[in-house]
Amino acid sequence: MTTPVRILSVGAAAPDLRLPASEVAAAWDRSGSGGARGQTALCGPDEDVLTLAAAAAGRALDASGLQHDIVDGLWWGTTRPPFAEGPSHAVLAAALGLSSHSAGALCSGSPHAGMDALLGAADAVAAGTARVALVVAADALVPGTGTGYEARAGAAAAAMVLVSEEQGSAALTARVTRTQPVLDRYRGDREATTRDLYDSRLFREEIFMPIVREVGEQLAAFDVRAWSLPDPDGRLGAAVAKKLGVGTPASTTAYAAVGDTGAAAPLLGGVGALDAAGTVAIVGFGGGRATGVAITADAPVRGAARVADALAGGRPVSYTEALRARGQLTAAGETIPMGVPPESASFVRGADEILGLLGARCVDCGTINTPPSIHPHCISCGSTKFELVPMARRGVVHTFVVNHTMPAPFVAPLPLAVIDLADGARVMLQVTGRGDGLEIGTPVELVLRRYAYERGVPVYGFKAHAKTTAPSERPS
Amino acid sequence: MSWNRVAVVGAGLIKFGELFEQSYEQMAAGAFQAAVGSVDRGFEPSQVDAAFVATQRGTLWGQEGIGGNTVPTAIGLAGIPCTRIENACPSGSDAFRVGAMAVASGVHDVVLVIGVEKMRDKSTEEGLLSRAASGHPIFTRGETAPVLFAPFATRHMHEYGTTREMLASVAVKNHYNGARDPFAHFQNEITVDDVLASPPVCHPLHLLDCCPQTDGAAATLLVSAERAAEFTDRPVFVAGFGVATDHPYLHEKTTFTALKATTAAAERAYKMAGVEPAQIDCAEVHDCFTITEILDIEDLGFVEKGKGGVASLDGETSLQGRIPVNTSGGLLAKGHPIGASGVAQLTECWWQLRGDAGERQVEMRNGYALQHNVGGRGSGVSVVNILTTNA
Repeated sequence: MTTPVRILSVGAAAPDLRLPASEVAAAWDRSGSGGARGQTALCGPDEDVLTLAAAAAGRALDASGLQHDIVDGLWWGTTRPPFAEGPSHAVLAAALGLSSHSAGALCSGSPHAGMDALLGAADAVAAGTARVALVVAADALVPGTGTGYEARAGAAAAAMVLVSEEQGSAALTARVTRTQPVLDRYRGDREATTRDLYDSRLFREEIFMPIVREVGEQLAAFDVRAWSLPDPDGRLGAAVAKKLGVGTPASTTAYAAVGDTGAAAPLLGGVGALDAAGTVAIVGFGGGRATGVAITADAPVRGAARVADALAGGRPVSYTEALRARGQLTAAGETIPMGVPPESASFVRGADEILGLLGARCVDCGTINTPPSIHPHCISCGSTKFELVPMARRGVVHTFVVNHTMPAPFVAPLPLAVIDLADGARVMLQVTGRGDGLEIGTPVELVLRRYAYERGVPVYGFKAHAKTTAPSERPS
Repeated sequence: MSWNRVAVVGAGLIKFGELFEQSYEQMAAGAFQAAVGSVDRGFEPSQVDAAFVATQRGTLWGQEGIGGNTVPTAIGLAGIPCTRIENACPSGSDAFRVGAMAVASGVHDVVLVIGVEKMRDKSTEEGLLSRAASGHPIFTRGETAPVLFAPFATRHMHEYGTTREMLASVAVKNHYNGARDPFAHFQNEITVDDVLASPPVCHPLHLLDCCPQTDGAAATLLVSAERAAEFTDRPVFVAGFGVATDHPYLHEKTTFTALKATTAAAERAYKMAGVEPAQIDCAEVHDCFTITEILDIEDLGFVEKGKGGVASLDGETSLQGRIPVNTSGGLLAKGHPIGASGVAQLTECWWQLRGDAGERQVEMRNGYALQHNVGGRGSGVSVVNILTTNA
């Protein structure tokens, strides 16, 4: 007898940048083709799958109302983790404030990884090895430039908190998987970008449609209210829905907002539909596998109503800005290396305090000293008695600058601000964006960002995200 | 406090600028020879008992391991005791303070204090700007030198209504003075509009709010006061000095409208010299950026807190003003070869006190001149030296 798997809360996140398909078409002189509709989300230079995962998982945890350190395990699915080999999972767990005892798994290697993560977490809850399991599916696809896939490859993340007790308002009620050892979209070893489909008709008729349709038909036996169906090219989602005899999939909204988000896509297309009672069917496809899951909600799931907002808006960018953001357009010449290499001792000493945004609260006077490792004595009273505390993630700008003069790899303009956090701590951090509209007193929230990428190591830390930056615009 | 009086009997510097054609050693020798040549009754180099050399960043010209031992050979005095002092932007002024203490203690009779800095042997990107990538990987990343002072400008403008025009007036005044200083890197006058229209470097600071990158060297010769008459009948004495530290990181600051290290160093120097700010006839202060001079003249007690911008705009710190500041052109026009800057400022004070400042000469009513540096990550250290002609 296994434990029922229930869903306590969900969350989603997308980067701010949007690449209109028309920009891609213009760049490759495809103005005559009909494919220049829609847009995709893409990561800025300081974002990647880990920062997206942290944002979505953070929202799901916030919606759950649970303390982060009671999570028993993190199951993270992403096609391409930030380290080809390395501490991707451990870094994300630390940035989320999970316990150092937390377990879980990193699933990767194809866009099916998001479903792998969901099933892995569900199995752990069902088996009783985890009472609270955090699932996050995140992707930031890097398509080959000039491929048809380029106007479709997006970036986003979706997360769920699974629990064993009768506290969530939804439950996993069915699952089905089919496999077929064939190539769809893939990336070979040592290749930088994902290859487009070999032949779209071959893919549709012999690979995608048979396997996805079979999984869908299995789920259709349930009274499905809303569907999340894979849509790799902007047409197949509707085509498979038609075969299944269901209406427009709920996932259409997410695809329209952020494109095909690979491993994130199935969850992203379904979590928003959990804002009402009924069954949501989620189908994921990739790497020669298709998996479907039925989730039945008795009532709206926490966080589901906020999913649409997380994907909406965004700032349209030009094709060249998109190339720079994806690292596919770089200036010639050497960049300035960090003063200490990112695999060195200072990063080992500082790992927890940087990723966990820890401060040392003085037991005698209450002052929060940060970072703790350089403050053996309290900055205010000289005491040596401290307790480590996670610092507040919200605050206001006390003063700021916008730096216009830095060598590569820095990109100007770069705003930096002294922030007074809600708990009284003061930090100085980079500010996301270009600093437009930044003022003394501007409220900010702290978000995980990639500060540097050097020697193959992504260096993560928190940045201030101003809440009153220029209003988001939809691309025309 | 019991200490022997210290006299400054010689001081000099080389013309500051982008000295691509000169080595570190050649610059050092040039400054030493200028100081030796300035001694009224002549000076035999072998009389030097010890040297203190200020060089802040050997890394800027590829000499990470630079020590105090390179200078004696360069100036023909191999064998003498020589110690390098590195204390951020106040390195030169702190070397002077330490040299003065060596004489005051009676350990040495004749001390050379020399500041030498190569700022331009590496490209700007590999040189000063590379600090954007050094330090703490998160809390200081992107922190070039202007980032250490521009937040104070933002906050000073917010709290006191200081304007960009007020900041610009500092650069205009210092370039006016620099145009009258044959040793200055920049010897051209500029206008407020020039400053306002210059490209942004680090909002709210623009290019002409910032000092240049300058190579240079300067030297002073200190002797015990009782031996001063061997060298000159116009000695200048060390009246007092102070050094103070403050939390070095910006997020550790409790105020962004004052530099606490300056205030504390100045209090110590004023107390040691037995003078009040109002008795200072002229001052060479740390104007790495325009906002820094505005903070300095407030923190040193020359103007009320918050009124530094207005005082600058009103000309209170000009050559004819109530308290002339940076008569040499300051770091903004004369340049900022870090280890040399403090020693060069002291040289200007020495000239002003002796009436040798030529076109830049200001009225010496009380016989006191003040020299000040501040720096070190987020202004974590300041040094103030006060010189006097009063016996």
